[in-house]
Amino acid sequence: MNIVGVAACTSGIAHTYIAKKKLVTTGEALGHNIHIETQGTIGTEDKLSKEEITAADVVIIAADIKINGMERFKGKRVVEVPTSIVIKSPKGLITKIATDLGLS
Amino acid sequence: MVEQLRLSELKRHAMTGVSYMLPLVVASGLLIAIGNILGHNPSLISDYKSSYTIWQASVTLGVYGMQLIPAIMSAAISYSIADRPGIAPGLLMGMIANAIDAGFFGGMLGGYLSGWCINLLKKYVKVPVWAQALLPMLILPLLASLIVGFIMFFVIGGPIAAASFALTAMLQNMQGGSAALFGAIMGAMAAFDFGGPVNKVASLFADGLLLQGVYGPEAIKICASMIPPFAVTLSWLIRKKRYSKGEAANIKVAFPLGICMITEGVIPIAAVDPIRVIFSCSVGAAVGGALIMLFGVESQVPSGGMFIVPAMNNPTGFLMALAAGTITAAGLLTLLKKDAVEEQIVEEDEEEIDLSGIQIK
Repeated sequence: MNIVGVAACTSGIAHTYIAKKKLVTTGEALGHNIHIETQGTIGTEDKLSKEEITAADVVIIAADIKINGMERFKGKRVVEVPTSIVIKSPKGLITKIATDLGLS
Repeated sequence: MVEQLRLSELKRHAMTGVSYMLPLVVASGLLIAIGNILGHNPSLISDYKSSYTIWQASVTLGVYGMQLIPAIMSAAISYSIADRPGIAPGLLMGMIANAIDAGFFGGMLGGYLSGWCINLLKKYVKVPVWAQALLPMLILPLLASLIVGFIMFFVIGGPIAAASFALTAMLQNMQGGSAALFGAIMGAMAAFDFGGPVNKVASLFADGLLLQGVYGPEAIKICASMIPPFAVTLSWLIRKKRYSKGEAANIKVAFPLGICMITEGVIPIAAVDPIRVIFSCSVGAAVGGALIMLFGVESQVPSGGMFIVPAMNNPTGFLMALAAGTITAAGLLTLLKKDAVEEQIVEEDEEEIDLSGIQIK
């Protein structure tokens, strides 16, 4: 499936990027098409494009803080989790989402 | 409303506050420290018409920054709850908190109240179509500022200021055993989850006290954040067999991160063997924290790792506490850990987590 998402943590320097890496590595290993935007202290990086969002089956928000631009995902299926879940169990999370949505 | 009071929601708002506040705290703290060291504790600028030195300017700017902290904390919390309309009343509540000496905790409370107030107003205030534009521009910020402002001034401001003051006085007067115990608990909490939620509670507390002029907890936080990466590195140097090749590569990343006071580099190592690593690091950090309190080490700068040690009041004491904590944790790690199995499956272990609570909206 097509996944987009946003990662953001409190200090915005470490967990944000660990979460992104875990999601992307795991997602690709499971054969999904995945794009993750990071909102760290440095600002937004790898900003999601409109096309990516439109094509997405699901939006994963891995954030410990409020993220910017939630309105972009209006009408999308959104999963919100803290970064710790993504860091500890990326495979479990993506598999669960795929099962719940009936996609794989 | 009930939804908003859930603990995870409350925490997310507080964390948003912290994330907006951190850069300001670091910049202000360093400005004060640099000015104080190089200018030999210059006085603050009181009269802009007469001349002043650059060190006075640096310290004064830093103090302005510190005074803004309750405001940015409050505004960010309020923004997190109520989006953009939350910012204006949030800033004002933070200014009140600063003015009535309710400090950082007063700012946090002001932020929650303004955010919730805006959300309630959004829900219940209905205006005719021609006044729609006035709602976010005038009605919401004005009403929320009035309502929460009066609550802050006349109802809860006094008690919070008194509680803040009592806490500050208690911590300042702590000596000997109780100081050491406090240091040990703070240290253990700060190291417990390597930058995770427990650590953030400890650092929130330390940052709050910084504004009240209590600088010891910041020194503990800095020390306890650096002990885990240093300890893992030291125990690897003592006995390399304890770590796999992959872990060794992680340690080489964790150490330089540790110098910058980023504990997170230890996570991959802790993930493989959580109980032993967390136990060892927490004990080491508790030792470090207790010593910081006993030596009376204080830091006006909340973040920056080894680079800000010279800015502390007692750098030698800090380094001794850091070394003692590191050696304790490294010793425990070396003793407790088993030799690494090199043929580990390349695939990373996943923790079993109950994901059933996660919903797709």
